[in-house]
Amino acid sequence: MLKFKYNGGLKLENPYPVDEIDLIRIPLPDKVILPMQQRIGNQARPIVSVGERVLTGQIIATIDDQRCAPVHASISGIVVAIDEHVYAHKSGLKGLCVTIESDGKDEWVDTSIGCTEHYETCTANTVYNKIRVSGIVGMGGAGFPTHTKVRLAEGCHTLIVNATECEPGITCDAALMQAYPTKVIKGIEVLLHICKAERAIIAIEDDKQEAIAALNKFCNNENITIEVMPTKYTSGAEKILLKYLLGIEVPTGKFASDVGVLCQNVGTVVAVFDAVVENRPLISRAVTVAGSAVKESKNFQVRLGASYDYLLSFVDVKEGSHKVSMNGLMMGIELDSTNYSVSKNTNCVFIDQLEESKPTKECIRCGLCNTVCPVDLLPQQLYWYSKSDNIDKAIKYNLLDCIECNCCSYVCPSQIPLVNYYQYSKALYKQQVKEKQQTENARERFEFRELRLERNKHERAEMMEAKKIALKEKMAKDKAQKAVIEAAKLVHGSQDDS
Amino acid sequence: MLDAISTLSLLALLLGLGLGYAAIRYQVKGNPLVDQIDAILPQTQCGQCDFPGCRPYAEAIASGEAEINQCPPGGQEGVDALAELLGVDTLSLNQEHGETKPKRVAVVDEKVCIGCTLCIQACPVDAFVGSSKVMTTVIAEECTGCDLCLPVCPVDCIDMVEIKPTIRTYVPDISELAHA
Repeated sequence: MLKFKYNGGLKLENPYPVDEIDLIRIPLPDKVILPMQQRIGNQARPIVSVGERVLTGQIIATIDDQRCAPVHASISGIVVAIDEHVYAHKSGLKGLCVTIESDGKDEWVDTSIGCTEHYETCTANTVYNKIRVSGIVGMGGAGFPTHTKVRLAEGCHTLIVNATECEPGITCDAALMQAYPTKVIKGIEVLLHICKAERAIIAIEDDKQEAIAALNKFCNNENITIEVMPTKYTSGAEKILLKYLLGIEVPTGKFASDVGVLCQNVGTVVAVFDAVVENRPLISRAVTVAGSAVKESKNFQVRLGASYDYLLSFVDVKEGSHKVSMNGLMMGIELDSTNYSVSKNTNCVFIDQLEESKPTKECIRCGLCNTVCPVDLLPQQLYWYSKSDNIDKAIKYNLLDCIECNCCSYVCPSQIPLVNYYQYSKALYKQQVKEKQQTENARERFEFRELRLERNKHERAEMMEAKKIALKEKMAKDKAQKAVIEAAKLVHGSQDDS
Repeated sequence: MLDAISTLSLLALLLGLGLGYAAIRYQVKGNPLVDQIDAILPQTQCGQCDFPGCRPYAEAIASGEAEINQCPPGGQEGVDALAELLGVDTLSLNQEHGETKPKRVAVVDEKVCIGCTLCIQACPVDAFVGSSKVMTTVIAEECTGCDLCLPVCPVDCIDMVEIKPTIRTYVPDISELAHA
């Protein structure tokens, strides 16, 4: 039983309930579009060229950046294009993508080299490197590179496996746990091997009874406990989960790793198992396809880069115009079409029937948002500051602690999209900090240049002065020598005469 | 009588010594107003204000030689901030000095560059690196977009490219969220 609690949060019903959760494997897509810019880190550089044949699992793009994971070909075939596509991002901006056309063979790179199930005989560093080259990032949606997270959490005491899946409507983690309970348990053991934590806790919500049963059946490691928690939205946010499970509050600006905890999504754990034990890099993931316009919501194990349209061809979508969204109703984003592809952090695609949205009204200062905020912020205050561009004040009120869970927007009786305001403030703050840094750099560099020019001038003047003196001395010396020679000549001449 | 005089004299001496020490110890070097003005200026070092850099312009403003509306990169916001700092009425940006442009960065066409190194000498923030008679290139993060390298380039191989927002630098627009 849980001893700890957190304020706020919401009890949300699954809007798309299903009788049975199943993970369906679907045939290979004909074409995949793989984005080079992942959610965190710099854009990866393609190392393949157009027309080149690639094998499944081959690294096609990489970059030397700790915060970036390499990208692998998710099917075998020919690279047909390296160009810009619109990303599934709220900005609607374009970014570099590699398009691969399948040859239908799904020919893999050599997967025999690696640790296999005897990973215990490998050093932690070997396993760590295996995770790094396998391109694994957090599969829960944040997309933080797993290898970096593991490295940051070195010497941690607890590993938390986040299987809460608290966003209503998403069932891909549940499906994954039901389909591969042994992979989950083995994956945890691999992570325990490298992070050296004493124990692992699987945090799971009580609406996933089948998954709990499956995990219980296969878990015979005494260091792994399964913690069943009541279903409540935002329990799955990392910092809240820590508070809920362990009673640890992560300070502002710090991470779970700073308090000795490594937190990994269950999908990530399965990816770690695939990478370390089966030597297969991250090339597919589980995706929930649901929505009020979808007759029956389903979970698919799909290759990365497959298009949403391809996914939707496996479900019955009702006629009419739809609203497309990804990554959940609460924390996800709305998209303008289904013309996007599955990336490493796409956990669901929702197709909903269009509903008339209620108009936004003025804030009535009811304070409801303050009661649901799971991180104990003052959403209303932050809203006023963000709206009036008073970024410094918003930061002072700990805006950066906001996890953008949308609980406040959800309960707002005026339908104010509060989190959009916070995202704006955060982005603006980030920009201001960067600009300030650049200004500071420019000032320093300008002043140093001035100093250098001044110094050069001074040095040159000194050098000239020294040269002048040297020249004068030389001339004086020459003159003296000449005089001596002249005198000698004179003496010599007079001797000759005599 | 004598007591009072000696006490007051002693006091005067001690306090005088204290003040004298403080005047030396806590002396403000330079003009603090120049620093404050310089902090508002955008540090583009472009010279559009007719002064050779932001700090010289700040000094000119402080001494009353220049108006506050001569800095196009700082924009109207910069002029307003200067007016507030100096407690004077704000002016509109003087168009004679140029107009405010979006932030740009210099890009060298390395195939065309002949390595004359004139740009290295012209750059106010040492953002160019390169080798004589080979080529030069720009450290994009250090470039302030001041345009000073453009006129000196004999082969016209420098382009000023506008910095486009990326997914990582994108700032959402909240004006769309305005209430119905």
